[in-house]
Amino acid sequence: MDDPLDFEVEDDLLSPLPINNKRKKVIGLDDLLNDHYKEQDKLLEKQNKAKKKAKAKEKRKYDDEDRKEAWLTRIVEKCHNQLKAFGEENDISLWGVKVFGEQKPFPPLDSPDLGSCNFIQSFFNNRLNSVVELAVDKGGSFLEGLLTNGWLSKLAFLSGHVEKPVAIWAFNTMLYSSKEDLQNSSSNFWHAILSSRREVDQFSVKIDWFPEYTDLRSALDTYGFLFKFSSSGERESSDSNNEGPPQNIRAWIRFVTSCCLIRSKKAVFSTVEAEEIVEIIICMFLDRRFQGLSMLLNDCMQATVDYFTDQEWCSSCENIAKFIACRVSEDLNCIQTVECVSEVSSRCKQLRSAIAYQNLLYCFNGASSGEVILKSLDASNFRDKSCDFFKMYIHLVLAENWVLSSSLVEDDPVIYEMFCSFLKNCSSLISATDLRSYASKVRHKASYLLHFSI
Amino acid sequence: MENPSCNERWKRAGIEDNMLLTMFDASDTNQDAVDERIAFLDAVRASSIGLERGKPPTSKIFGAIFHMLRTGKSLQLIVASYKLLVDLEKHFPRAYLSGVDDSLSSSNSPRKLVVAEEAWSPLILYLDNATAVSETGDKQSGGPLDPSSFHVLIGELVESLTESEIQAASVKNLLLFQYLVIVLEGDFIPRNATMNWSLQRESLLNVLLILQGSRKTNYKSLMKDCVEVICVLCQLLQNDLSKKFEVEKSSESQSSKNCHAGLSLALLEVLKNARVSMKKLLVMIMALDMSRKKADIEGHTSRADSPRTPLVDIVLDELAYSKDTVPHFLKIFSEPKWKLEIVVQYLWKYITKPSARTRRSSGCTEDATFDGALKCFSNKNGTKSIIKKIGGDVVQLLLAHGFQAQLSILSETNANDNIGGGREEGGSALVDLCQAFISAFDSLKSTDRDMEILSIGKEALFTAATAISMKS
Repeated sequence: MDDPLDFEVEDDLLSPLPINNKRKKVIGLDDLLNDHYKEQDKLLEKQNKAKKKAKAKEKRKYDDEDRKEAWLTRIVEKCHNQLKAFGEENDISLWGVKVFGEQKPFPPLDSPDLGSCNFIQSFFNNRLNSVVELAVDKGGSFLEGLLTNGWLSKLAFLSGHVEKPVAIWAFNTMLYSSKEDLQNSSSNFWHAILSSRREVDQFSVKIDWFPEYTDLRSALDTYGFLFKFSSSGERESSDSNNEGPPQNIRAWIRFVTSCCLIRSKKAVFSTVEAEEIVEIIICMFLDRRFQGLSMLLNDCMQATVDYFTDQEWCSSCENIAKFIACRVSEDLNCIQTVECVSEVSSRCKQLRSAIAYQNLLYCFNGASSGEVILKSLDASNFRDKSCDFFKMYIHLVLAENWVLSSSLVEDDPVIYEMFCSFLKNCSSLISATDLRSYASKVRHKASYLLHFSI
Repeated sequence: MENPSCNERWKRAGIEDNMLLTMFDASDTNQDAVDERIAFLDAVRASSIGLERGKPPTSKIFGAIFHMLRTGKSLQLIVASYKLLVDLEKHFPRAYLSGVDDSLSSSNSPRKLVVAEEAWSPLILYLDNATAVSETGDKQSGGPLDPSSFHVLIGELVESLTESEIQAASVKNLLLFQYLVIVLEGDFIPRNATMNWSLQRESLLNVLLILQGSRKTNYKSLMKDCVEVICVLCQLLQNDLSKKFEVEKSSESQSSKNCHAGLSLALLEVLKNARVSMKKLLVMIMALDMSRKKADIEGHTSRADSPRTPLVDIVLDELAYSKDTVPHFLKIFSEPKWKLEIVVQYLWKYITKPSARTRRSSGCTEDATFDGALKCFSNKNGTKSIIKKIGGDVVQLLLAHGFQAQLSILSETNANDNIGGGREEGGSALVDLCQAFISAFDSLKSTDRDMEILSIGKEALFTAATAISMKS
């Protein structure tokens, strides 16, 4: 299901890596932790050399240096491939959930009843109508022209008024027109009238109609958004030939962003609705098809998070985190739900920490508290053959974000100490030569955190 | 994060440059490498923007991020590096006016320009030994661009956008271009606000243009390419883009349907934003031209400020040369002040000047406004000759767009006057404008009875008539 994006198609994941790069990478990373690992590294080098020497001795017939090297390269490549095959499932796993399924048929775009628009109605008797030739039945295309050429917003600001039929028509055009130009222009139109202001809490334009959350939600439903998705059950249905969300989704995101920025003038969403919007945005972050829109999604997330009042935020933050945690499975996706919340404001940091925490609780089958989780993490035995380093990695990233993203948690000495002890265990008890998949990732991550963040 | 030791922590450790070495070696062709780079970007963000009194990353780190933007293969990485660069630019401005936030000082003391001299720049611009450096601006290295590679970038944009299929790689170039415009803007706008030519002339934008101008044809062709990018983008976004993707889609395997959806979402968004960026770039250059002209009149320019054809003139030539570009360019180039300037100059180039007046008389320059141009249409012979010279369609487009720009400027001043109470005056100016516009169109129609009124002309007439009925 995790089809790579176009760029990634070229990236033949299965072709053997150039050996040089692999080695340099290991050394490079260890350089970073020079103090800690210089010794171990030397040991590794020695072992390698010894191995090469031994093998070389066995096959004396390869006198020619070049041939020897070629042969060695082949061997190493073979080993490398075996190793890769050994840990293939985990190494290639990517985050990504399809949160958009089949699109539903779009509602027909009715052009508004021109008779009910006063500003158009009054023009019918104008002498200029002999040139303009505006007729009731051709009103739709005329309005489209007014919109795409920017006259509609000029008229709105001149009259200080947006009539209901025009507002509805522009809204529907934005969400359901298949024409890029119309989507853009109507999105710009709505953005312009929403961001207009006379006073802090007043629009400079009287807007007769505002969409409600249900309108936005049903648009999302039409686009095929899977309100009841869960990342675990998604893989089977991936073969369905759906094309993903329509381009209108961009206008949808932008519109929601604009709505969230105007709470002082009009509260478009209720608290519960705003919570759902944050959840939806996080879900979109999980869909690889949205990678190119991360700027747009980030802005929207930021605006929606700031939409809440201080009183609402504490409980809303927890609600969102709980909702997300019970939807994603314990794989890279749950890391993605955390990392998609960029730490631009204290609220975003808080949300990030909360999602990480709820994910952890979920991973540990509803453990009673974070302390319990850290205790069990601390007690993990890395030498145990059954130790699942992939899970360990996920737990490590989640714990990191839970503890370090929120100053509230970071300032708790007990939790902080436990987390540090866990990091120390990871970085010192996992052997550098442990070849199990994700073992080195856990070790590197822990050492990195110890070095830079603790 | 308020913890003071936190800052210390980062300062002590920094991000070791050694860490970067790992980034340069391997290409991001496997997911592991992509993950590592994303982790790197996150770490840079946390250590600079994430901290309360964080410092900008070192040049080496900046270089590494920029390298990822230029050479990245995965969409995730390209977008992430672009976003980080843009955020860093916002967070650590390369130039700003001191005391902007301080309302007390704004009254009398002039605001001082503060420039982050040592800031890393994605453009290599040395006035002194341009030739010595320009050799190294190769694309492979993914390093900063020199003036000639900036030109190459714009050229590539034109090329890739006019191809029948839009390549995925153009997302990268478009984002790179957008980032460069943000950098130029961040440097130019505060400098230009000082109204001091010695500061304005040192702006990255001016230096970039001077270096282009060292071979004069280069500068002109660069500007022409810029205009072309705008027109191509306008056409692309106006037409049904899905057709373009259809071609691409059929050639793709079933498995990449998914990436197709992701890419087309990203591509359209990027195209739309690139259009805005290009518009910004042109507006900045026009503002720079104006500042230069002003400095010239006041005698602040020196021989080092080699003369350059103003961008408005180049645009006018371009529009006159290929009439097909007129509707696209005017539609996208929505900035009222400069749009009006272009329309007025275009019209006045072809309006027959009243023969009674001599060149020296001051009346002529006064008339060279949009209102003046509208009045000229009351003269039937003049109207006939201008239709003959530039064609009825272009006349209509110019009038409609000029009207729109003038309308924006008037309502802007009206909005400002509202506080002072000059509403009546503004309203009557608006009605006058609308009436003059309508009579110009009447005269067009009566001069050439077969002339077909374009839809934009109809829309403009409708707006004018509606505005009159609202205000009177």
